[in-house]
Amino acid sequence: MDSKEEIHARLKEVLVELFEIDPAKVTPEANLYQDLGIDSIDAIDLLLRLKELTGRKIQPETFKNVRTVSDVTEAVYALGLGDAVVGS
Amino acid sequence: MRLMEKLDQGWRLFGTCLSFACFGLGGVLLSLTLFPLLRLTSPDRDTARRRVQRAMHYAFRLFVLEMRLLGVMDCEVEGVERLRAGGRLVVANHPSLIDVVLLIALLPEADCIVKQALWRNPFLRWPVAWADYISNDDSAEMVEAAAARLRAGRSLIIFPEGTRSVPGRPLAMQRGAARIALAAGAEVLPVSILCNPPLLTKGVPWYRIPPVPGHWRLVVGQPLRAQDYAPAGIPEPLAARRLTRHFAEYFGQAVAAPLPLAAAAGPALAPDCTMS
Repeated sequence: MDSKEEIHARLKEVLVELFEIDPAKVTPEANLYQDLGIDSIDAIDLLLRLKELTGRKIQPETFKNVRTVSDVTEAVYALGLGDAVVGS
Repeated sequence: MRLMEKLDQGWRLFGTCLSFACFGLGGVLLSLTLFPLLRLTSPDRDTARRRVQRAMHYAFRLFVLEMRLLGVMDCEVEGVERLRAGGRLVVANHPSLIDVVLLIALLPEADCIVKQALWRNPFLRWPVAWADYISNDDSAEMVEAAAARLRAGRSLIIFPEGTRSVPGRPLAMQRGAARIALAAGAEVLPVSILCNPPLLTKGVPWYRIPPVPGHWRLVVGQPLRAQDYAPAGIPEPLAARRLTRHFAEYFGQAVAAPLPLAAAAGPALAPDCTMS
């Protein structure tokens, strides 16, 4: 559980850095597209950034079903990459 | 006096109907005759593309001339010579239905990002394909395809709003245009389109005829470099947001500035109105 929270924290930093999103808006329930104003092209940049951080690739197909911030956290966690993200 | 006004408005309603009819019928006719002919007689796709784009340019010039002769609208252009340089992304706000017509009438050869629905139109799907226009599906592929055109030295027209502005509301800019400019490292040429009185705008039925003819004013601004919004180390999504914000401010100010009515705009048929 702890590491999911850490992934979330790291993800928040990435969202702020890449998209200038107000950190207060980055809650687990926040919808990437509707609440955070991310578009489909941004999503690709987010994928690339996560790949840089984890050293591994999240499949774009997996990302198609992602809607909320916690979906991203789960996707990263499910790949067993939690340590890699936090450790970087 | 009242009667004269009524007659004038009635005439312009007739002129507007006639213009729509000509546009629709002309589009169908050209799609069945001239455009396929140009495609069939071209040795390759690129020649066909240039010929079809030029044909559209002349067709739209003719259409603009017709509307002006009917007294339905008038237009003036400032800085048209800046439009002639190729390889630039022509970015414009989108107040009215005929904005793309006016821009193509000014650009002899231009690529264009147009709505996806045109590829499902039985008449227009082939001409838009032959002209090599790009569908606005707002994907990474669209950005790459558009950037490739600019790198090849071609001009590309895009309306960052994606659809017509909603009168009275702040301009809502999508980030696709900024993405394209950044991906291509291209110069951006902003064109402010101002229309007074509002005509063919969103939410106003086309048959609601204003008391005076619609007057369009196109102001071609100074080119700006997309790269100036992407200093080293700035992630591209951030640069795209900055450039998009700049577009919103630039066009927001242009639209907010007071505009003379047609009657006060000086000689109505100034030389630059000929859109040559």
